[in-house]
Amino acid sequence: MHEGAIAENIVDILKETKEAENIDKIVKVRLKIGIMSGVMVDALLFALTALKEEERIIKDTEFDVTEINVKSHCVLCNKDFYFKKGDDIMLLCNKCGMPLDIIEGKEMEIIDIEAEQ
Amino acid sequence: MKRVVVERKILERNESSAQKIRTILKNQSVFALNFMSSPGAGKTTIIEETIRMLKDNYGISFIDGDLETDRDAERIKALGIDTVQINTSGACHLDADMVLRAMEKISLDCDLLIIENVGNLVCPATFDVGADKNVVILSVPEGDDKVKKYPVMFNVADTILINKTDLLGFMDFDMSKVKKEAKQINPKAEVIELSAKTMSGFDKWISLIERWISEANQY
Ligand SMILES: Nc1nc2c(ncn2[C@@H]2O[C@H](COP(=O)(O)OP(=O)(O)O)[C@@H](O)[C@H]2O)c(=O)[nH]1
Ligand SMILES: [Mg+2]
Ligand SMILES: [Zn+2]
Repeated sequence: MHEGAIAENIVDILKETKEAENIDKIVKVRLKIGIMSGVMVDALLFALTALKEEERIIKDTEFDVTEINVKSHCVLCNKDFYFKKGDDIMLLCNKCGMPLDIIEGKEMEIIDIEAEQ
Repeated sequence: MKRVVVERKILERNESSAQKIRTILKNQSVFALNFMSSPGAGKTTIIEETIRMLKDNYGISFIDGDLETDRDAERIKALGIDTVQINTSGACHLDADMVLRAMEKISLDCDLLIIENVGNLVCPATFDVGADKNVVILSVPEGDDKVKKYPVMFNVADTILINKTDLLGFMDFDMSKVKKEAKQINPKAEVIELSAKTMSGFDKWISLIERWISEANQY
């Protein structure tokens, strides 16, 4: 359950942001999680809810997660390949057989927050 | 209500610590390997045999993050290798800060630093520990469905070692299926069949490490 560690990192960044932006209350946090990041969204939301007990800063915060599908690219054919959750991810170009580069799908990011001042 | 743009990576702290590790190791010309697998796949045994084959020609240090038993660290210490154990009690993965702290307690006057991660095919894949190469081990008794089940881990591998091939005759394990699926999720990783019992495949594995180290030293 490494999502516990991920949740703690999120709270650390929120604390810094609250301080820097002079925020009173964080109402909503938008996160971006790639389907190849190794983070399970349900487990992350569970870990964040569990942290609410001890972290007052997120006590009433809503977390909104956007999952990012895999976008991969063949440099030789200049062609993109997309995979969504549940697909077998095949990182070989179906035209030329070259390895594909993952362009999207590994992200773990805090996009923005909605706050009361 | 106001919207505040954050746009920060959740694991930025781990990333910067991993970067610190890379800088320290590069300055000291140390090449680092991060071993990951399920519990019992053979990390410690493979590390032990690898050290035996390399220690006459390379200085080696070892960071043990596999909490199973501290007998693991003892086995490696017995080979005369500078070893430090990370107390991972409860943790399901190593992170870069843990490795940084362990590096303070170990000799970096070496050519090769071996890190044994926590036995787990999920969590360690998400945390960069600053190693040059990730070694992911799958053992035959675990079954031939694991690459598909754990795509993130097999995708971060620089090489995939298939261990315990001495047991192939006793299990339903479709090697060509595993190799095909490994190539699909990670076309760049070399797959090497090993047995840490019979030592079959070790020549290939050892020459891969030697090639990696000499390539790293060219820069
Ligand atoms: N038959 C067989 N057993 C092995 C092989 N490699 C390791 N083992 C055994 O598998 C068990 C777990 O190995 P260990 O190295 O401790 O795994 P770790 O938890 O990944 O570090 C030990 O009993 C080893 O002796 C192998 O290639 N063949
Ligand atoms: Mg071990
Ligand atoms: Zn192509």
